[in-house]
Formats: sequence, structure tokens, C-alpha cells
Amino acid sequence: MSPNKISVLFVDDEERILRSLRMLFRGRYEILVTTSAREAIEIVRGQQVHVVVSDQRMPELTGVELLREVREASPSTMRLLLTGYSDLQAIVASVNDGEIFRFLEKPWQAPYVLDAVDQAVKIASAEFSAKATKAPSIVPASGLKLLVLDEDGDTVCMTREMVAEKHEVRHADSVESALAVLSQQNVAIVIAELKHHRDDVAGVLKTLKRYNPATLAIAVSDLGDSRGLIQLINQGQVYRFLPKPLSRELLRRSVQAACDHYARTRAAPILLRRHVVEEAKFEPVSLSAKLLDYWRRIRENSRLRQDM
Amino acid sequence: MSTQLLRSLPAEAASATASSAFTASDSVGALAQWVDPIASTMPVLAVGERFLDAGSAAWLSLPVVEAGRPVGSVSRYELMQRVYIKPFGRELHGRRAVSLLMHTAPLVLAAETTIEIASRYIGTRIRQPIMEDFIVVDADGIYAGAGKVLDVLAAMERQVAQHSSDLGLAYNKLKSSQSQLIQSEKMASLGQMVAGLAHEINTPLGYVRNNVEMTHAALGDVRALIQSYQDVVDAVLSGSDPAEFERRAVALELRRASVDAAALDDLRGLLDDTVFGVGQIADLVGNLKDFSRLDQARMESVDVHKLIESALKIGGNLLRKNNVSIARQFGDVPPIECSPAQINQVLLNLITNAAQAIEHAQGRITLRTHAVGRYVLIAVEDNGKGIAADHLERIFDPFFTTKAIGQGTGLGLSICYQIVEQHHGRIRVTSTADTGTRFLVVLPLRAEVKAEVKGDSLT
Repeated sequence: MSPNKISVLFVDDEERILRSLRMLFRGRYEILVTTSAREAIEIVRGQQVHVVVSDQRMPELTGVELLREVREASPSTMRLLLTGYSDLQAIVASVNDGEIFRFLEKPWQAPYVLDAVDQAVKIASAEFSAKATKAPSIVPASGLKLLVLDEDGDTVCMTREMVAEKHEVRHADSVESALAVLSQQNVAIVIAELKHHRDDVAGVLKTLKRYNPATLAIAVSDLGDSRGLIQLINQGQVYRFLPKPLSRELLRRSVQAACDHYARTRAAPILLRRHVVEEAKFEPVSLSAKLLDYWRRIRENSRLRQDM
Repeated sequence: MSTQLLRSLPAEAASATASSAFTASDSVGALAQWVDPIASTMPVLAVGERFLDAGSAAWLSLPVVEAGRPVGSVSRYELMQRVYIKPFGRELHGRRAVSLLMHTAPLVLAAETTIEIASRYIGTRIRQPIMEDFIVVDADGIYAGAGKVLDVLAAMERQVAQHSSDLGLAYNKLKSSQSQLIQSEKMASLGQMVAGLAHEINTPLGYVRNNVEMTHAALGDVRALIQSYQDVVDAVLSGSDPAEFERRAVALELRRASVDAAALDDLRGLLDDTVFGVGQIADLVGNLKDFSRLDQARMESVDVHKLIESALKIGGNLLRKNNVSIARQFGDVPPIECSPAQINQVLLNLITNAAQAIEHAQGRITLRTHAVGRYVLIAVEDNGKGIAADHLERIFDPFFTTKAIGQGTGLGLSICYQIVEQHHGRIRVTSTADTGTRFLVVLPLRAEVKAEVKGDSLT
């Protein structure tokens, strides 16, 4: 097995799924399959695996648990879930613990799965070859700009208490004022409440990620809608999902992780490619000229930063 | 207010007004009629004259009132006994004031007294034989009329009849809302089952769909390959020029290189998988169909183990979610006569409860069966958190639940209990905290099910 060959590992306790997927990807990559999550971890430890696509419900470990182990063993390996059980806990854990690239559902559409895996393969190979030349050194981040989008101001108070010394925290109580901040400043992390009384916050997060992949989003929500969350993973690459009521400890850990991640991507911009999002089917409609102008500026600022 | 009316109106009208004036028609005010009272100073003989009046004909006694308040009553009976029948009675008592002869503790009731309380009061106070009527006073104790004891009893009887018909109505209402609740519990558990099954079906559906799509694409390749062969054969047969033959032969070679023969071989295996997957989906749907026939209380002779397997399959989603292992300790059990859909419901309920009681990773549900005499025993045992002793005695009560609001109706086990009872069986539970719970269902081999099961309220 040459280390340069691209390999994709499929894990599912139903071997018929594995046979079917092996056929679908025939001739594209080196395909590895196993029905055992434990064996999958051994494979990832033993060789370079570019992409792991795992089922969620398996007898030894859940897919999320497996992908978390994969993330520790080989951070550059791209992780995808392919599952017939889209329960909320699994979706939330797949983001927070697995930091997955895509959440795919069974039964799948072949072109969609092929496309998602192809993208993941490209990102992973670029990262693996970049790593071969130099390892990014992490500089502890300070002086980052955080934006909190919430109506009642509880979340912003909590965030300010936590990071007051190290980072700057801005508050926005509407999407419009949030976009105003984003268009003028280089915001590292957006902490947003999904349930806003009239604005489509999820739509904003998705568009933001497309225009400015460096900004990390932490979504706070009462987590009612599994379909909406899956879309936020695939189209918004949300960095963390935090359930309401907001736990201080969870918020602290998430903000810390996001700051570290932001510092890493700044040191190695290639990591930004991980946050590539799928095209949303619905563009945000009927935006006012003012909002469109904000978006234009956000996009331009992001281009400028990437060129530097 | 009504007292004023009562006093100024003739008896009949007053009575009618009273029943409308007192909003509560079940108070003694509604039974009162105006009777001209006797002054306490009236001579005994004059009282006797009053009893002979046509207006007094209906009354057993007349009220004695002083300054608007009743102070006693004179009964026709006593007057006869003590004055008219006694030798020299008239001469002895005739000119004396009636206050010396009257009964000083008459029956006095406030107008708003309810019929129920009035009849209790009269019952304890009345003298035998019945020789008096009762006096009605207003809220201030002012004389307002008189009423007959028998009217109170009649009103009481009407009330009792009304109550029992109300009770009957309430009972019917309760019964119909209970059967609605049972129905919604069934729908809720059916909904859960369907959601679980939908997930369960997604896995076979995943590879079945993918395999069929890939076969479809491969068939296109094969068709094109056959066409290329055909082109070459046609060129040979029609004896076309060598350049054309050459061109077609090259096209065939290219086509052959692009079609992966090994892949076509693998496709056969994938089609076997597809057939298997479709069978699995059919199996899951078939089980669901068995469960949805809950309206059929029809008795059939069935294999208990088949019922258990069916319930396990339907509950499979929940078992897998919680990573629960299943141990089967099946004995040699003859078929039993029962309503399969209903016993399925019982088993599924016990199995899902068992799975939900397990909050650790080493979950295990043991299913045991064995035959004892004319009965079959089915035990469902889990190693979950157990049931608290004070919950255990209420576990089969309708609406008793330890689940959060909206998580359970509290009817599941109560319905299980009813179903088993209707099968002339028994259901028992034993539990130890932190160790586990065992439900034991005992069913007779031959059913002699109560008649009501057939058109039963459960269905």
C-alpha cells in the first residue's frame, strides 16, 4: 500500500451496504471496508486514510464515537456519517465530537454521495501533502473578535465574563446589526441563537460560511428540527451546536476550542478548505439593498484577507 | 326579598313564585306555601275553627307566630287528642290562649335549606305518627310559609332519580373517553413503531436502491457492448468493405475495454443482496401489518415464540439504539389460542418498557417461556434500573406513569393488564432497585375468553 495512494474507508455493520458502496466507488480510490468499528480505528492508526465514511448505529461503537477516535488518531482524515437514523443526539454529537464534514442519509443519492466523498478526498490529500512539508505551529490566540447574536443578551453576558481579558466581544440583537459588524470587522467566531423572532439566522450562518469560511459559527438552539440541523452541517459547517438552556461550561469549552481552531487555520490556511460548504438550494430571498451591500463587503473583505 | 313576595301573595301563587324566585329549585323554599299564621294569644276554640276552614283542609298543623317569628305549631291531631276527645276538654281549654297547648319545638327550616339537608333534619326531628307540617323562615328568621313533609320526600326522590341518571350519563362519558384514550395510546405506540421501522428500513433500502441504480447503469453498458458485437457481426455478414469492418472492430475493442467484466460478475452478488434486502423490508412491513390489526380480537392458535420474535423485530429499533442484547430461553411450548394482535401488543409493550428501563451499556433482556399444565408462562426480564416499591403496586393503574409529561400516557401496562385478564390469564411483576424487573405473563393454552372481548372496548 503506497502512502500516496488515496484511500477511503467505509464502516457499516451491514456488509451489504459495504459491498454496494465498494461497487459505487469502484476504480476511483483504494476502497477499504470493515464491519467492525474497532478494526476501523486500527486501520486509521496503521495507514494513511483520507476519508472515513461511517454508519451511526453499530454494535461496538456508535459512528460518532468512532469518528471522534479517528479525529484524534488522524486529524487530517475527513469524516462523514452515512446513517438511516437521524436522531437529534447523533446529529449534535456528530458536530461537537466528530467535527464531521457531511451528514449523509440512507437511502442515499449516488451522485450526492460520490460528490461529497470526492470533495473530502481533495481536501484531505491537500492537507496530507502540505503536512509532509511543514507542520503548522499553533500560536495561542488573543485579541480575537467574537460576535454574539442574541435577543435577550444573556449569552453575550456569559461570553463576556469568560473571555473579557483575552478577546473582544461584540453584541448584535438582529441579523442586520450582526451583518453591519461582520462587514466592517474581521470576526473570528459568531455565537448565534438560531431561534430569532423573525430573522433566518440559519440562512445567515450558511451564507456567511460560503463567503467567509474562516469565521467559525457556534449555533445555540433548542434543537427541535433534525432536518434543519443536518442542513446546517452540510451547508453551514457549523463548528458547534449548543443546546438551550445554555450551559456555561459547554460554552466555555466551545469558545476555547473555536479560538484554538481559528488560530490553527490562521497558521495553516489550507485547513480552511475543510469548511467548504455544499451549495444551499435556496438563496436568501428578498434581501434589502442595505443587507446585500453588507454581504458584498463581507465577501470582498474575505477575499482581501485570503490574498494577503 | 322572596319573603316579602311570599307574605303578600296567595298560597298557590306564592309557591309558584318561590320556585322561580329561589334560583335553586332544590331548596325547601320551592316547596313552601303561604299559610295565615295563628297568633299565640288566639283562644284554642278559635284555632279549632281555623282547622275547619277550607283553606286549612290540606294541613296537618298550623304555625304559631309572634312578632313575625314562629314560636310553635298546633297540630290537628293534638288538638283532637287533648281538647275535643277528652271529657270536658273544650270546657277546660277552650278559652285559653293556644300558646299553652302548642308544640313549642316545631320543625323550622330556612327557605334556602337544600332538600337533602331538609330531609335529613326532618328525619331526625319528626314525631311519630306524622302529625305536623314544617315552617319555612327567611334568612332573618321571619315566618315565610309552611310546607308538607311528604313534598320533601317526593322532591328527594326526584333528586335521587336525577342524580342516578346524571351518574349514568357521566359513566357513559367516562367510558367513551377512556376508550378514546386507549385508542390514542395505541396510535402513539403505533407511531413510535412506525418511526422506528422507517429507520430500520433505511438500511436495506440504502443498498437496494444503490444496487438497482448501478445495475441500471451496467445494463446500459452491456447493451452498448452487445450492439458493438452486433455491428461487427453485421459487417461480416453483409460483406461490407474491410475499412468499415476494421472501424467496427476497433469500436468493439474500445467498448470492451471500458466495460469492467469483473464488475458485471460482482453485480450478480449485488442482485442477490438486493433480493435479500427487499425480503427484509417485506418482513418488517409484514410485522407491522400484524400489529396494526389491533381491531381484530379474533382468536387463533399461534406459536408464542413467533409472537415474541415479531415483537422483537418491531421493537428492534429501540433495542439497537440502546445496544441491548437479547437472551432467549425458550421451552417446549405448544401453540396457544389467543388474539395474536393483542398478545403482540402486550409483548411489545413489555419489551420496550424493559429496553427503556436500561440506562447502562450492558443492557440485557431475557425472554423465557415454558409450559406448566394448561398454561404457558412468558417472562420478560431486564437488568435495568428497577421499579420503586411504592410505584410497583400502582404499576398497572391507568394513567400511572413515571415518564415525563408527553412521554407516556400511563396506559400501556394498564392495557396489557386488561388484555391478559380478558384472555383469562395473569400478569405479575417483581422488581429490585438497580438490579432489574421481571414481568411474568401466564396465559391459558385454550381460550375461553369472556364474551365482551369479541366486541370489546379495547378495539
